[in-house]
Amino acid sequence: MSPSAALQSEIFRIFAFLTTGLLIVGGGVIALIRFGFAKNVSHAWDSYRGWLVMVPIISVSLFAGRETAICFFTLISVAAFIEYSRATGLHRDLTMTSAGLVGVIGIAVAAIVRDPQTGAPGVYGLFMAAPVFVSVMLVLISVLRNRPDGQLKVVALSLFGFVYIGWMFGHVVFLANARNAYGYLLYLLFAVELNDIAAYTCGKLFGRRPLCTNVSPWKTREGAIGAVVISALFPLAVRFALPEFSAIECVIVGLIVGVGGHLGDLAISVIKRDVGVKDMGTLIPGHGGVLDRIDSLLYTAPLFFHFTRYAHGL
Amino acid sequence: MNNDNWHYDTATDFGLSFLDRLRRCPREPDPFVYAARTVSAIAIRAAMRIYNRFEIVGRDNLPGDRSFVMVSNHASHMDTVALLAALRLRCVHSAYPLAARDYFDANRLRLALTAIIANVMLFDRDASGRQGLNHCKELLEKPGNVLIVFPEGTRTLDGQVGMFRRGIGLLVAGTSYPVVPCYLKGTFHALPKKSLIPRPSRVGLVIGKPRSFEQIEQSDSGAVQISNELHDAVLALSSETRRQTSRSLSKEAYQ
Repeated sequence: MSPSAALQSEIFRIFAFLTTGLLIVGGGVIALIRFGFAKNVSHAWDSYRGWLVMVPIISVSLFAGRETAICFFTLISVAAFIEYSRATGLHRDLTMTSAGLVGVIGIAVAAIVRDPQTGAPGVYGLFMAAPVFVSVMLVLISVLRNRPDGQLKVVALSLFGFVYIGWMFGHVVFLANARNAYGYLLYLLFAVELNDIAAYTCGKLFGRRPLCTNVSPWKTREGAIGAVVISALFPLAVRFALPEFSAIECVIVGLIVGVGGHLGDLAISVIKRDVGVKDMGTLIPGHGGVLDRIDSLLYTAPLFFHFTRYAHGL
Repeated sequence: MNNDNWHYDTATDFGLSFLDRLRRCPREPDPFVYAARTVSAIAIRAAMRIYNRFEIVGRDNLPGDRSFVMVSNHASHMDTVALLAALRLRCVHSAYPLAARDYFDANRLRLALTAIIANVMLFDRDASGRQGLNHCKELLEKPGNVLIVFPEGTRTLDGQVGMFRRGIGLLVAGTSYPVVPCYLKGTFHALPKKSLIPRPSRVGLVIGKPRSFEQIEQSDSGAVQISNELHDAVLALSSETRRQTSRSLSKEAYQ
């Protein structure tokens, strides 16, 4: 990944045109509803404005190269981890929070350096073993503090936060090292957002029966099924981004995004409900916190990563 | 496992923007803010030692075991960082310099800088400031907090120590909170009001013996009495610096 590679990459160019076109069309639709039909679109406008800021930032960080992409995704990871620690009260234990953050940054280091044996970008073994080292580090902190009270709680919270946010989202970070990094990353980001939007739209149009009332009262089965179908077919529409994949593999990848996206969404809802907060943060106006935005990616990224690695190698 | 034992202490300022979080006091711990504050505290201490030959006399007078109030004369923005420099490094996160809301919350950069570097507690200078006093008392009830107060209410324009307002008296009258009078010497010359770049002149801090005002009743007259007493105590320290400097100078001269 580099600026010149991005300009030469057909995948990057097509996705750039696609997102620009979608933003223009989306803005046009919102304007039409607002001024043509005189309806209140403040919610959609807030969300759209969020995208107007996010899309250029993501595009530039991917365009500029592998290192900037890794740093950008790591920043997202760090912000999400802080949101999580503030929601669960882990932030009162500064050492444990910082240790979790050290783990998150360790993922970035593992992704950015080259493997000394093979010379390939990213130390895959270290990345995969990161949870082991972080759990050792966290318990070691408790030992060095010489203080047993309440340590399991903070160690557990910090370790879960690291594994769930730092490490699982770290798969997106590590995807920047893939041969077809543009294809994989852009497909994944695009498909996950499409899945969210499809679930919302299908739910609005056909939603009757609730999916999982105690966790997320507004999700409907019809919305989920519709989104899974659309997500399963989407890779076939963007075959250019996944050139090595056969049709069946495309559908599998689509199902991973469709099902994983929903599960990730619901999983964060479980945490939010248990803790008793509505949104995880306020960093992205119109979207809530960073963690609310990347929740679907958390489940999808590792599944997609390992399926791709198994089928075609990174 | 009993499910009831596990509590999540969600941040009290959850859902607020970063700036709104900085406006609150006491603030929730944040690893990046703490790191920035610690690094800037080290940098400021080093810079003042070298650039202003900053010296602290009477650091042993600071009560180590409980919350206390530091009271000082006010001539410069350097005063706050100088007083913070007298505390141990880990205490800077629980030291709260009272800062006028109308001045320090006037723009975002000023608020962010002062809240991150100095951990200021915004305070209304007008009548509603009395409500803020209760907030200060809550802080002092908890262990390990330091309140930094400049009872003059503003930076001096002529270098003289002005009258002490009675707010400090209302805060500590009839309570056992230790009040530590401090005198800052040279900050008026080093960085006076309306000047931006500090001069490399000598700055010193003298910390006096802590005192408390349990006997004095909570009333306006009691508050005025306390304020005057603290004013005299701070001024008394100013003469002490002069004597100490001359003594140390003469010692050097004879060696």
